[in-house]
Amino acid sequence: MLRAGCQVLTQTALPAGKTGGNSFALEFVRWRRKPRWLPVAKSKVFRVPERKKQTEEERTELMRLHNQYKTQLRSVRQYLREEVVRHEETSTADHIVLTPEQEEAEFQKCLDLNAAWNARIAKEREARLAKEREEKVAYVQERLEAKQLREEERREQANQRVLREIELSKTYITRENLDAAIEAALANPVDHNFAIDLDGNLYRGRNTSQLTEASPNPNPEPNQQALSN
Amino acid sequence: MAQKVIKYIGRTTDFRGNTLWELVSELPNWGVGRMLIRNMFQRYPEPCYMRILKVQAVDEQPGEVRKVRVTVEKTWRGVKQPKPVEIYSTSYKADYELVPQDQEAKYLNNNQKLEQVVLPTKIDLPPLLREYVTEETGERNPQMKVHFKQTHNKLARLAQEGEKPSVSFGVGLGQPKPVSSKLYEGLL
Repeated sequence: MLRAGCQVLTQTALPAGKTGGNSFALEFVRWRRKPRWLPVAKSKVFRVPERKKQTEEERTELMRLHNQYKTQLRSVRQYLREEVVRHEETSTADHIVLTPEQEEAEFQKCLDLNAAWNARIAKEREARLAKEREEKVAYVQERLEAKQLREEERREQANQRVLREIELSKTYITRENLDAAIEAALANPVDHNFAIDLDGNLYRGRNTSQLTEASPNPNPEPNQQALSN
Repeated sequence: MAQKVIKYIGRTTDFRGNTLWELVSELPNWGVGRMLIRNMFQRYPEPCYMRILKVQAVDEQPGEVRKVRVTVEKTWRGVKQPKPVEIYSTSYKADYELVPQDQEAKYLNNNQKLEQVVLPTKIDLPPLLREYVTEETGERNPQMKVHFKQTHNKLARLAQEGEKPSVSFGVGLGQPKPVSSKLYEGLL
């Protein structure tokens, strides 16, 4: 980058050579220096910088001037610092001096004001709490009523279910009428081997003659076999 | 056969000697009680030396010169420090030298003392600030206190009441020391 930049610099004499032909527009005019992050140049790796010798008189004189300057500067800073502190202590802008009576009165005033604020806020709080309490009571009442209603509905539904079951229990097969039920079932075998068309017409099988009075059953044995299968 | 000549290349240094660990690790009882010098401080005519009081080894860190924590009693420019000084952060510098026990007298008998610097207690304000202060307070020649913080290793002190300071801190160039008066020939 640096080398390219130098080329640009050398080309500045040419009319079109400013930045036109190059792919970048960086151009160091004033500070032609290696960027800090690049390592030492190859040509400078083994260069040993010369150590400047200071003569005794020069060293002594520079030390004296340096000491003098530093002491003066520290003194000025101390002076200004003290000035600021002094100004803060004596100025009345934010530092009002009060007598004990005045201080007491001021304190009392603050106390009264605080008490008044507290009273006002307590009033507001009372009102708010009362309102909240009322709302809570109304809400609980509402919920209780809703619960009662729900309970009644549930009871009603259970009642109906019980009634229905009692109604149905008349046709239950019990120990007493078990034999009769078996007899009835054996006497009336049901054949589900039929077809239904789209119009709802029932087409029974050819072998289910006992259900259709019109066609007698010529051979009941295979039918029984089929059912058992 | 000619003597082999060692030629050093690269940067030169003012340090001369060994690191503290190199010295201390070789000695019986870690060299407690022995006298040390920093070669850099031998530029002063006043005696500068240290005496080892305690040594604590420190683990070697990778890529660094090994350090060591040494507590010494330090005498610097002829003034003995009241408290023991701990050397740790500078212990890596290859500038320490052990004084052979028969040569310790050379340092102990060196009684040269530094001439004490007496600072003035009040000095002039800088010109612009002086103008401001004069305008504000009406004071003709306002002065400010000299900032000075007393520590145990300072060789200067503030002037007492009625004492004449040995240095002057006027605004301006001041009086150059006799050594460097040659620099101002024909100017002052």
